[in-house]
Amino acid sequence: MARPMFPLLLVLAAMLLLAVAPAGAFASEDIRVGVLAYRGAERVGDSWTSSFEHLNKTLAPLHFQMVPGDLSFLDEEVAAGRLDFIITNPGHYIELETRFGASRIATVETIGGPPPAAAMGATLFVRAERSDIRDIKNLRGKTLAAASQDSFSFRQAWREMAELGIDPFSAPTHLSFLGFPADTVVEAVRKGEADAGVVRGCLIEAMAAEGNVQAGEFRVLGAQTLPSPGCQISTRLYPDWPFAKLTHTPEALAKRVAQALLSMSAGADGQSWTVPVDYQSVHDLYRVLKLGPYQSLGHHSLWTLFWEYRHWLTALGLAFLWWVLHVLRVQVLVRRRTEELRAANEAARLHREELEHAGRLSLVGEMASGLAHEINQPLAAIANYATGCLHRLEAQGEADQIAHGLRQIAAQAQRGGDIVRRMRDFVRKRPAALRPVQMEQIIEDSLVLFAPIARRKQVTLRLVPYPPLPLVQADPVQLEEVLLNLLQNAVDAVEGQPRREVALSASLGPDSVTLSVSDSGPGLDADSIQRLFEPFFTTKVEGLGLGLSLCHSIVETHGGRLWAENAPNGGAAFHVLLPIA
Amino acid sequence: MPDSAPLVLVVDDDPAMRDSIAFLVTSVGYDCRSFTSAEEFLRNWQDDRPACLLVDIRMSGMSGLDLQNRLAEAKSSLGVVFVTGHGDVPMAVRAMRGGAIDFLQKPFNDQLLLDRIREAIDVSIATRKVAAERSSIEARLARLTGREREVLDLVVAGKANKQIAAELDISIKTVEVHRHNVMEKMEAASVAELARLI
Repeated sequence: MARPMFPLLLVLAAMLLLAVAPAGAFASEDIRVGVLAYRGAERVGDSWTSSFEHLNKTLAPLHFQMVPGDLSFLDEEVAAGRLDFIITNPGHYIELETRFGASRIATVETIGGPPPAAAMGATLFVRAERSDIRDIKNLRGKTLAAASQDSFSFRQAWREMAELGIDPFSAPTHLSFLGFPADTVVEAVRKGEADAGVVRGCLIEAMAAEGNVQAGEFRVLGAQTLPSPGCQISTRLYPDWPFAKLTHTPEALAKRVAQALLSMSAGADGQSWTVPVDYQSVHDLYRVLKLGPYQSLGHHSLWTLFWEYRHWLTALGLAFLWWVLHVLRVQVLVRRRTEELRAANEAARLHREELEHAGRLSLVGEMASGLAHEINQPLAAIANYATGCLHRLEAQGEADQIAHGLRQIAAQAQRGGDIVRRMRDFVRKRPAALRPVQMEQIIEDSLVLFAPIARRKQVTLRLVPYPPLPLVQADPVQLEEVLLNLLQNAVDAVEGQPRREVALSASLGPDSVTLSVSDSGPGLDADSIQRLFEPFFTTKVEGLGLGLSLCHSIVETHGGRLWAENAPNGGAAFHVLLPIA
Repeated sequence: MPDSAPLVLVVDDDPAMRDSIAFLVTSVGYDCRSFTSAEEFLRNWQDDRPACLLVDIRMSGMSGLDLQNRLAEAKSSLGVVFVTGHGDVPMAVRAMRGGAIDFLQKPFNDQLLLDRIREAIDVSIATRKVAAERSSIEARLARLTGREREVLDLVVAGKANKQIAAELDISIKTVEVHRHNVMEKMEAASVAELARLI
């Protein structure tokens, strides 16, 4: 019973130990410290040897392991949480600070070197014989080589150029990124593949010390000498490298490391550590270049803005497109409907003209027999006169008698022509042509046209004397049509009545003339008065019912009024009021 | 017949018709008088000579047919010719039955018109002659006494004097006297003529 329990207890204990492990679990573990290797992984060890030795000695049994790599490698390691500490350039540091919450616990200090807060810069160099490039501002339009877009030294140089108004990323200035190690940049400039190069400060001096660069081979632009170690720098100065912890790194460990670093005495290369300095100047650089944490202010940020809100923008864009299409469609529809409306109005107008014409024709049909009679009169008279003349000639009658006959023939022929012309005018289709007309002429013409009909129906047609009438703005043919219609209706009304009389009269108003047609018929009943001017309303057996509605619309076109009432002494009276011209 | 020239009377409300018909008929030697309406005609015409009446059948106011009726009532001797500008067949029938000479449609053949006028005037003359004769006979008859009238009737019936005397209960001699007076008053030369007059 106890034996199976033992392994179980062991496992439990191990688990317990592991659970409390974080507190002091690094007892025998490696502390992984990422180190930015700007000159190749093989060479990086030299720079930090003394520091690592010190840490391993001071904080044994903790073993500090160097993990060298370039920027992207380090970013990966940090993101994966595989690093506890990191030593990197100031620019990269503040990116890590923003993205991963790294925080510095010490800054490099080179004893006998420049102050840690202003310890480094970048070097822009050209081949010494390039007399055309003397200052940073001469770099406009030239090809600049650098290790990487992300390298701190390039960014330092870029800032200086930007503050001189040069954008290295846009033509005519050209950039050439050659990758690490930075030595390749020097090679490229040496070979003339680039006009200028930018590397970390003091690199060229280091390469010269190694013998890879001849003295005087290159010239540094905008050189300011970095006091001890005497490197030539092109940019302003920035703080030295920090030693930073990461978010998951325990505070207790960080404190022990910091203590160890700060208490480290300078090695042979003079390297030591001090309290972490202010990296505000690096922030300033990043802000000017709108990089890292300041990216949202960058000139590329418009695109990132678009990209970020691409869904909304697409939706907005589509909505806008739909709206535009909608507006266009509405425009097209409006135009089409307006056209249709105009066409419909035109059709209606033509229709009305046809109807009016038809109305006139039907009236003419009724007047046709009257017309035949009317034309007969002058023809018969002409025949009589002609025969009379012949007889007189045979009997050698008096010349003036014969002349009288012939004159009468001419007059009668003209009378016949008048009737034909009047009838033809009446029948012809014409739109309303308003002009000032004499009412007397219209009244007379209408009576002449109508008299035979009245005679045939044995109705007395009476013209009541009227005062002189002013000119009226009217279409004479249409007005005649109205008058004839009214007269016809009046004559129909008195058919079969004991007293068959139709009277036509005219009266003057302040600014109008009123023609009245009254009959001695039975008058109008209430229903008729209401509906008199409706199209197709008729009390006649054979009537079409078009006459009065056409008259009504004609009178309206003339700006007048047409109405009917029962006369005081019986019968109906129709009044046409027309405005004076 | 006091007047020599035949007379045409024109009743038409159209002045051109009146004037042209006057022109036409005067060119063949007729007299002509024209009136604007039936009423005006009736007011001014005495019916004292033969004439042709040329009248339009349709007029406002009294129509041609109404005039014809009035004239017939007054036993006018006018020969009536109707003219018209319309094709009025029913009216034409009534006009003819009313005794019109003819019914002409305008525009008419002038020769036809003149022929009809001539005919109307002849008819008018004839009618008047008959009427005149009629009144003359009536005047003569009026001269007879009652008895003479009786004798006349019996003579015309073909009875012999002896029979007449017997019927009237008078003497034969009286009959012979009456007979002689009748012949004289009636201005007849023979019994046959007498018979014709009655």
